[in-house]
Amino acid sequence: MSIQKKLFSIIILFWLMSGVVVQSQSTSSFDLDRLKRATVFIYQARNFADRLNITCVTTGSIVSYDGLILTNAHSVVQGSRCNGNTLIIAITVDLDEPPIPKYRAELVQVDAGLDIALLRINRELDGRLIADGTLPPLPFVQVADSSEVLIDQNITIVGYPDTGNEPVDVARGTITAFIAEPRGGNQSWFKTRATIPGAMSGGGAYNSEGELIGIPTTVPVTLSDADISCKFIEDTNRDGLINTNDQCIPIGDFISTIRPSNFAQRLIRSASLNLDVDNLTTPEIRPSPIDPPSFSRLFFSPSVVDGLPSTVVGSLPANTNSLYLFFDYRNMTPQTVYEVRVTKDGVPDPTFSLPPVRWSGGENGLWYVGSRDQPWANGIYEFSLLINGLATGTQRITIGGGATPEPTFSNIVFGLLDLQGNLLGNGYVLPSGSIATARFVFANMADNLNWTTIWYFNDGEIARAEDVWSFGASGSNVVNLRPQGGLFPGKYRLELYINNALSATSDFIVAGAQEGPLPIIFTDLAYTSADSPFEALNTPAISSFPNLVDTLYVRFNWQQIAAGTLWTVRWLVDDQLFFEQTEPWITTESGSNFLLSLTNPPDGTYTLQLIVNNLQIIETTAIVGIGQLPIDRFSEAEGVTFSGKIIDTATQIGIPNVSIILVSEDFSVGDFVWDQEQVFAIATSDRNGDFQFDRPLSLETPYSVVIEARGYLPITADGFELDNEVGNTLDIVIEMVRD
Amino acid sequence: MSLVEINLSTENTLTPRQRIATYVSVFVIFIGIYFGYVIRESAINQTVVYSNVQAGLIASYPDGWLIDEDGDYIFRVRDMSNLGFKTVIQVQTLPVNTDVAERNLLDQLTLSRSQFLIDYNVLGYSEFTLPNEDVAIAMNYTFVSRDTSPFLEGISSVVVGLDILTIQRGQALIITLRADASIYEQALTTFNNFLSDLNY
Repeated sequence: MSIQKKLFSIIILFWLMSGVVVQSQSTSSFDLDRLKRATVFIYQARNFADRLNITCVTTGSIVSYDGLILTNAHSVVQGSRCNGNTLIIAITVDLDEPPIPKYRAELVQVDAGLDIALLRINRELDGRLIADGTLPPLPFVQVADSSEVLIDQNITIVGYPDTGNEPVDVARGTITAFIAEPRGGNQSWFKTRATIPGAMSGGGAYNSEGELIGIPTTVPVTLSDADISCKFIEDTNRDGLINTNDQCIPIGDFISTIRPSNFAQRLIRSASLNLDVDNLTTPEIRPSPIDPPSFSRLFFSPSVVDGLPSTVVGSLPANTNSLYLFFDYRNMTPQTVYEVRVTKDGVPDPTFSLPPVRWSGGENGLWYVGSRDQPWANGIYEFSLLINGLATGTQRITIGGGATPEPTFSNIVFGLLDLQGNLLGNGYVLPSGSIATARFVFANMADNLNWTTIWYFNDGEIARAEDVWSFGASGSNVVNLRPQGGLFPGKYRLELYINNALSATSDFIVAGAQEGPLPIIFTDLAYTSADSPFEALNTPAISSFPNLVDTLYVRFNWQQIAAGTLWTVRWLVDDQLFFEQTEPWITTESGSNFLLSLTNPPDGTYTLQLIVNNLQIIETTAIVGIGQLPIDRFSEAEGVTFSGKIIDTATQIGIPNVSIILVSEDFSVGDFVWDQEQVFAIATSDRNGDFQFDRPLSLETPYSVVIEARGYLPITADGFELDNEVGNTLDIVIEMVRD
Repeated sequence: MSLVEINLSTENTLTPRQRIATYVSVFVIFIGIYFGYVIRESAINQTVVYSNVQAGLIASYPDGWLIDEDGDYIFRVRDMSNLGFKTVIQVQTLPVNTDVAERNLLDQLTLSRSQFLIDYNVLGYSEFTLPNEDVAIAMNYTFVSRDTSPFLEGISSVVVGLDILTIQRGQALIITLRADASIYEQALTTFNNFLSDLNY
């Protein structure tokens, strides 16, 4: 910086600070304007002849400065209902106006079952690619730990209420209930009574700190396109009319369910780090089931233990605060829509009902839906299950009255007995062998009651024993399974009946070789690196890699896993989950060199876990580079949004195209040598002289400001510091004097 | 009738001292203006030396231009004080081998840039003699740029670009100027000064 400019800076410093006019302030840490700006409207469109037809619309939330957008999958992933192949991102330029299409985006992460998708802005609206690093930093929202959400907590939902012809809107309400499912435990869904229009699906639900706690989610299920939740806004068939012959845009009914943000964390982490996991041994594409999806064997349980029912009940006493409906499912896919309608004494109960949502489980198995630690009023509850809008099963339970000493079986666990009669093992995964033992708890039993034990293997009954009870009123008992030829790998189930009524049931998996009571399923799990997957089969195991490794390979051997056994791969970096996939086992029962790959891993500590039936079987860890993820200096969403206007002192008219440079807190104006490394952020004024920093300023941090515009006297200032009283937005007017 | 005599001679009211003072004042003013001009020119033409040992490059770029080295170039400087597109001078290298001609590289640049730059349009190619008498190939092009935040009402600028490409020591050196079309000729002067001080 020249001497003249330095001298002038000293004079101007005081002038600038006096010239700053704070126009708007707020004292809350909840920056609604920023949340609105970080909320985008998404068009899914399809090329038809020479134009794009809109096929679906939804709301999304920008979750990183480089254009990562979190939204629902059902409106952006190409499918039968939303068959578009182009994603257009419209952003809010004026908070009081509808969004303006600005960019295109691509899908980077999808979990169809969770109905979560992550998009990345990658093209300008005209289709041109946006070069890496050239997208201006966008306002984004911070994702909260949704496990800290509480019942009755106030929430704010931000989204677009219509098909793009309304400005971004806000709905407020409270969390009224949690809905439990196996995929996410007690907090698989948040329920709210806030009035959320269907088009807000995919938007954001925020806590009082302005952090994203969930994604309002619903799936439009209509048997007819003439449904009110479907809108005709375009002459898609070009017959000169907009009517029911055109393609409609599904909007969906009002939303009452919110998918907690913790489900999205791994997808966001994976997308932001550009981590790509490939299963090189088995193809990921599997044929969809041919038979229609179905539910069966509906029963209630008051609690869940390791994903399984503790017992089976037909009624519960007053003051019940936990209830789960269990059922078997068949032929389900992530595209299947299921719904739970709950009535109490014949009246719909919105608190515990689950509106139409995507299926987040596997193809076949045992599922539950319910809630814990929430009061269930006395009454007769009827749970109706629907698949794709069609009723498929109903079950009733009565809640009320005093506790009656009904004979019960409960808490079944599986293992192998030692010589002292102790049950050993991990509870739900047994090794191949000759015997399986189940221990269960009984209470209120009376001698001479009839009780029945039925064992199943892969859904077929393999053993049944009917007997008269003679083990006393309460305690624990064991039953054994000794099938001819031994225990084959596969899925087993035990059902215990009292007087021909199901009282307890539980499932377990047999897999792996026997080493004591624990199964040895996976062996020789190791990381390695190689130039190709083929080479990776023979390269030595490595636990520490240089920071420029292209691909990490993980290989392992396996033994005695039956086809169809659900197994899970979990991958963590620095103890943060970024990949989790549960799939049925589809390769040979035993084999070697199962290969997974992870491309372009940044520095970090990577841990791979292999899981069967919710139990971790084995894990391995490797270090890349320094063993810690690099710090992203742009990743902080909190702070003050700094915007304003630059005007000509003489004319009081905005000056366009002026760059305002905010020097980072480590440097003063005197230290500033016009090096980008010293710059915290740059904003450029628009045609009206308005400017806005895309990166929020931290509080109580002394920045320096440098403004130089040809034809005007330069302005510089040190110690530009914001305190808590400023609030979360700072809007100033800066006057420039012609030289 | 009377005769009126008109005396045309006028009396000189300035003393020699006053005359000298006047001359000295005028001289001082001119000297002041001259020094002001010199200082202004010095400020305007002041340069900063950039050196990159790894790339074997020494350059002088205008003082007050913002430098960065984070992109796919050796370095880039921008005139942030310009109202409109911020004039850019950039130096980058590309690998070459014996099969690669200069024109191949320029075509590769064109294909790549057409993916990112709005209305990217090559105006033509010509020979260009560098200050050290090396003959390079120059490519002129235009495109449209918009710098402001997508949340503001930014207006696009028409940008004129010039790439000077020469192959040196087994790699292609590309020296680029990009400036708003309205000030391109002015920026070209700065660019020529930059080229004359460039050592590679």
